[in-house]
Amino acid sequence: MTSTLESQPQSAPQVREVRVAVIGSGFAGLGMAIRLREQGIEDVVVLERGPDVGGTWRDNTYPGAACDVQSNLYSFSFAPNPDWPRTYSEQPEILAYLKGVAAGYDVLRQHVFGADVTAAHWDAGAKRWLVQTSRGEFSARVLVSAAGALADPSYPDIPGIEDFAGTVMHSARWDSTHDLAGERVAVIGTGASAIQVVPAIQPVVDSVTVYQRTPPWVIPRGDRPTTSFERSLYRRLPGVQKAVRGVLYAGREFLAVGITKNPRFLAPVQKLARTHLERQVRDPQVRATLAPDYTIGCKRILISNDWYPAVTAPNAEVVNAGIAEIRPHSVVTRDGVERPTDTLVLATGFQVTDLPIAHKITGKDGRTLAEVWADGMATNRGSTVAGFPNLFLLVGPNVGVGHTSMVYMIESQVAYVGNALQAMDDEDLITLETTQAAQDAYRALIAERSAGTVWLEGGCGSWYLDEHGHNTTLWPDFTFRFRALTRTLDRDNYVGTTA
Amino acid sequence: MTTQLPTTVLATTHAVPIDDGARLHATVRGSDDAPVTVVLAHGWTLSQGSWDDVADALADDVAEGAVRLVRYDQRGHGRSTWGSVDEVSIDLLGEDLAAVLATLAPTGPVVLGGHSMGGMTIMALAGAHPELIGDRVRGVAFVDTSAGELSKPPRNAAERLQERLLPVVGAWAVRHGRRVEGWRRRVPPSSARHQAVVRGLLYGTDATDAMVRRGADLISASSVRSFVAFWPALGAHDKAEALVELGTIPVEVLVGDGDKLTPVRHSGKLAEAIPTARLQIVSGCGHMLPQERPDLVTEALQRLVTAAR
Repeated sequence: MTSTLESQPQSAPQVREVRVAVIGSGFAGLGMAIRLREQGIEDVVVLERGPDVGGTWRDNTYPGAACDVQSNLYSFSFAPNPDWPRTYSEQPEILAYLKGVAAGYDVLRQHVFGADVTAAHWDAGAKRWLVQTSRGEFSARVLVSAAGALADPSYPDIPGIEDFAGTVMHSARWDSTHDLAGERVAVIGTGASAIQVVPAIQPVVDSVTVYQRTPPWVIPRGDRPTTSFERSLYRRLPGVQKAVRGVLYAGREFLAVGITKNPRFLAPVQKLARTHLERQVRDPQVRATLAPDYTIGCKRILISNDWYPAVTAPNAEVVNAGIAEIRPHSVVTRDGVERPTDTLVLATGFQVTDLPIAHKITGKDGRTLAEVWADGMATNRGSTVAGFPNLFLLVGPNVGVGHTSMVYMIESQVAYVGNALQAMDDEDLITLETTQAAQDAYRALIAERSAGTVWLEGGCGSWYLDEHGHNTTLWPDFTFRFRALTRTLDRDNYVGTTA
Repeated sequence: MTTQLPTTVLATTHAVPIDDGARLHATVRGSDDAPVTVVLAHGWTLSQGSWDDVADALADDVAEGAVRLVRYDQRGHGRSTWGSVDEVSIDLLGEDLAAVLATLAPTGPVVLGGHSMGGMTIMALAGAHPELIGDRVRGVAFVDTSAGELSKPPRNAAERLQERLLPVVGAWAVRHGRRVEGWRRRVPPSSARHQAVVRGLLYGTDATDAMVRRGADLISASSVRSFVAFWPALGAHDKAEALVELGTIPVEVLVGDGDKLTPVRHSGKLAEAIPTARLQIVSGCGHMLPQERPDLVTEALQRLVTAAR
């Protein structure tokens, strides 16, 4: 038997060697691939677990999915789109934009779709990353994780949820073939996804019950279709669109003053939100249910004109009493009230403070990123980690923003990584690794800038903070300060080795 | 881990569709198997929230499965929409109630409770659908309400002028709803002035500040349009003849001795016209008995439920 097996020609596992492997093809992964091409680095593979590019904007197909940042700002600076149909684009338009950019910059041929990364180990001998995926193994000199923070859905741990007999859908895993018409729908959560999905489904369902833990602050959404005049203007004079983008950027950066410097400056925004609530919700009792008791900005500020009208529609209800258990055909709250339910919509967000990808990446000393980060995620400039040479993170710890476009942060990081690879080229380095000292200093900087932010001072619990109450997700300053920090490679903070 | 909840109460939310496009917000508490369904109709510029204290007092009956409780917001009130009608009337509200019954209590004994305009709604239902009385509707509680003659004919030139002007002013207020809402917001229900007006108009001498505040909150939630549109409907309300239909079932009539909107004599007329009626005049109370004396209102409903089983 043994000899038979040995004599059979083993199909030796093919390990594909590349210079750079990028995990994920959302805004970050695509931006990285495009930057590498422009830098002349062609030996790149983009490992994408899904069937297409788009990342978060491919996965979140729930009705009403849209961006909270104006499209003129929420897009690549190098690929302006004069044809955005609305101020705030909806998911299909953003996904189409990303697909168009991927095709236009010819990076699709570097993609391997359906390649779910299961593990990545640093091979200290070869000084390469060995990446296992559902589409085979890859050996990469440099690994860029562009897996993102809003990638893996977070599922609530509610007793009985596994025995629910109806349909369960996470907002990020929407089943568009499931018809909600005439159903009694329970929506768990009142975050950014919930306030978009509820107004979209409320008119068709029999009834919708929203189970709320903490009410969000909601401000009006100044959304409108773009005019053909605007579009032709942007096409003919791209500078005008660039200027509009600049104005939008600057306007949003003013919010950062209140959010990261002194919450007092948020008072006018909070007044705007309070007036919005009072105008749209007449009943003081219902208003009290929907009124937040923390400073605006502590949790993500949401924008919507149809959230309050939807949850005060004749067939809607917001329930504050926490969920005690879920039964096969109903949801039971702690006050002993049982509501018959056909479909459960989990608008419960993503695993942000414990990134699943961190459990899959193992560094020099045999520990995973998650193990190294057990007492809090720490990096140098949100991009590199001591003990993990040649690994770069995009949209990693403390890179998130709530007040402006994530694409701005992504482009900052992409340039930083590009410069790092350029430095490796210039110096003939085969490894580049940040120092522990640099990482400690950066962590201290984040902690210092986070003190006094509304996230820590605003009197709320949010997904921004980790289990220790530390801010490990958001950039606690003006975004242009992050860009300044990442404009060039801080070479002194790195140790390089040559062959 | 699992919190064992010994008894749970079923709750459902509904938008009852009406032919003219209106959708009425209704909430149901309790099991479909309960022997009797209680349906409560609220008054002018209020909402189903005005029955909260009565609903709380009935909670044990609901939890034990003795009663199923249906509350709804009348057209143009609370969360209910207006539909496409040009003019509202008490008859229209009666048809709305018929639709609520058909949708949410299509079978089994029903006890109806109506406060103020909600009581008039029940009279309209009885007049238009006498076949329901006795067979389906087994008991009625009229709280602070009237069968008609709420508006007196003008006696002098000043009153005649007022009668002519009121619709004009009302129509203007609805058209300029935003501005009027702005004025209303300047004197919010939290202010002492606002509460003093509400207390003087609606409440009796024994009412607590908390009761007044809650009532003021409920009324402030009503739109300018519901104030204006239903005012003539209340004046035109005349259902003295429909009361005959109710003489075959138990009827409870309750009124506060200090009720200024539907004074005691209106309830007296109800009790006279309905031989099966039992009249209670509650001292120290005004027009808001569901809040001022939820215990008495609940006991009346419970007597009707017992008789209806």
